[in-house]
Amino acid sequence: MSLLLLTKLAWRNLWRNYRRTLIMLAAIILGVWAMIMMNALMRGMVDGMLDSGLKYLPGHAQLHHPAYRDDPGVAHSLEALSAPLQEALADRDILGWSARVKVPAMISSERDSRGVVLLGVDPMQELSIGFAETDLVQGRFLESATDPSVVVGEAMLKRLETRLGRRIVLSSQTVGNEVGERGFPIVGVYRASLPSLEETLVYAGREVVQGMLGMGGAVSEVAILGPDYRRLEPWFGRVAAAVDEGMVLEGWRELDEYLALSLSIQGGAGIVLIVVIFLALSFGLVNTMAMAVFERVREMGLLLALGMPPHAMLYQVLLEALFLLLLGLLAGNLLGWLSLQPLLSGIDLSALAEAAELSGMGATLYPNLRGVDMLRATLIVIFLGLAASLIPAWRAARLDPVTSMNEY
Amino acid sequence: MTIAVKILLSIALFHAAPVTAAEPMDARQLVQAAMDHWRGESSSLENTMTIHRPTWERSLSMVGWTTGDETSLMRVTAPSRDAGNSTLLKDGQLWSYHPGINRIIKVPASMMEQSWMGSDFSNRDIGRSTDIVHQYSHRLLSEYERDGHTVHVVEATPLEHAPVVWGREVLHIRDDHILLEHQFLDQEDVLVKTMRTLRVEQKSGRSVATVMRMSKAGNAEEWTELDIHRIDFDVELPASLFTLSNLRNPRR
Repeated sequence: MSLLLLTKLAWRNLWRNYRRTLIMLAAIILGVWAMIMMNALMRGMVDGMLDSGLKYLPGHAQLHHPAYRDDPGVAHSLEALSAPLQEALADRDILGWSARVKVPAMISSERDSRGVVLLGVDPMQELSIGFAETDLVQGRFLESATDPSVVVGEAMLKRLETRLGRRIVLSSQTVGNEVGERGFPIVGVYRASLPSLEETLVYAGREVVQGMLGMGGAVSEVAILGPDYRRLEPWFGRVAAAVDEGMVLEGWRELDEYLALSLSIQGGAGIVLIVVIFLALSFGLVNTMAMAVFERVREMGLLLALGMPPHAMLYQVLLEALFLLLLGLLAGNLLGWLSLQPLLSGIDLSALAEAAELSGMGATLYPNLRGVDMLRATLIVIFLGLAASLIPAWRAARLDPVTSMNEY
Repeated sequence: MTIAVKILLSIALFHAAPVTAAEPMDARQLVQAAMDHWRGESSSLENTMTIHRPTWERSLSMVGWTTGDETSLMRVTAPSRDAGNSTLLKDGQLWSYHPGINRIIKVPASMMEQSWMGSDFSNRDIGRSTDIVHQYSHRLLSEYERDGHTVHVVEATPLEHAPVVWGREVLHIRDDHILLEHQFLDQEDVLVKTMRTLRVEQKSGRSVATVMRMSKAGNAEEWTELDIHRIDFDVELPASLFTLSNLRNPRR
């Protein structure tokens, strides 16, 4: 029997009970739509976490004193970078790097004082690895590593009840275990994706901070930005080979394990989601196909008696299921794509901002619809759908022509 | 706590030597001279600190000893819940001992910002009294007469990169070097808090500011008062007094 004939038969059979078919289609469409939406939202969520995570980590890899991450103080600093290391950092695959002082400090105004992370940076280097002039909402960024002023976050400005142009005092532990402190005028105010970052990071000129803390030319870390966070090689290996004694080079996956975990969970979770939704669908699908077979037992017996081979019967039922699935997938994907269009400009989560921030997400969620997600959902649904339809199809193929024609 | 001793003394002892006002001093000298008076002095004192809030008030009694420029020990004696809490200032470092946890803690930079024992004094306000000389520029604003004394009003403005949050401070210094009033203004030139001397008494043959009150501007119900009951100057103090060992195990 030709495939064309089977196709024709299957298609017509599908519309013999069009109500049932439409109901099943609706279920598949809804299920596929849910898969697409959830995947896009989840990917958007993780993208948001990665964006702000890597921007403020910052970079894709960092050099530290081996003990710095356990005890981030001035005692665990890196002395001046050796010439081979500087050469390795000039690698053509490295987009930028920044040698920064990063120590816990206190910031105080007339009204309040808070704990912060004081960053002593060279503004040129810092702009090459993450900080953007567009992050500034007031004033300017630092002008040089010797700029004796600070740039603070907008939320911090509110906390301190101060404003642009006013002086704040920063204090931190010096190399000699004493209190190093200094007044700094606020020359710039930045906005970050997370308010907690705005309240944490304070930027000041690197050499000014080094002077205040008696560090000489030492820095706390070197942050390195590559072209793609997914692939640190080949530059990572070249820098690792040039690392000076008493330094460790770590990629962002080691530096922010939560972020790395979120990213790796995302792929798996997407598949789990698709399978769970499909499992709910499959009961309806199996039931629909079983009913379609059950209704036509007599007719199928006749076809078999007329000489239709059982495997053709199997294909016919499977083709029915395939058409049902394909129609559902087509409409479901289309619906998913359409309903995401108005959301691509961002979903305002400000009502849930505090909860979102706990997982490192910003106040706006940008769904990320990827063709590969749609393809994955489609393939999984077709494959599992056909597998589920095998049972009724198998039963149809195994019908005995005589009993089926006599008993029904 | 030590810091409190310093502020007590920096204020109380302003007056300590009679002023030989042969020629009028400029604003900086007025402040400088006042600071110089208590340097090298040794003293022992008892005082009460009262913290007042709209809904509650509490008092702490303390004893303290100081010697030289930057060395002092302060110990709470009452109420019993706080008794034994002690602080030692020595070689520019601040150590704190709490009997409840039986630990000596080196007070870190971050705690310099905090309120001192819940009072309206912050450690920073009172911790480094000599800063008022070195980290500021000074200007004599005016003079007035009060109780037969001339009072100089000195404006102290922090230097550009001084670790000072205030916009400026205004000091009312009496001609016998008692600081009558110390106003803290923010960088918008709004008064934030004021310290006033409420009583000047003769103690150990000298006139001493014995009651001082720090109050927040615009909130009459929030203030902290320091009241010195007894103060003896030029006392013999053993060097062992100002040690970590004595901080933990009081022998005096």
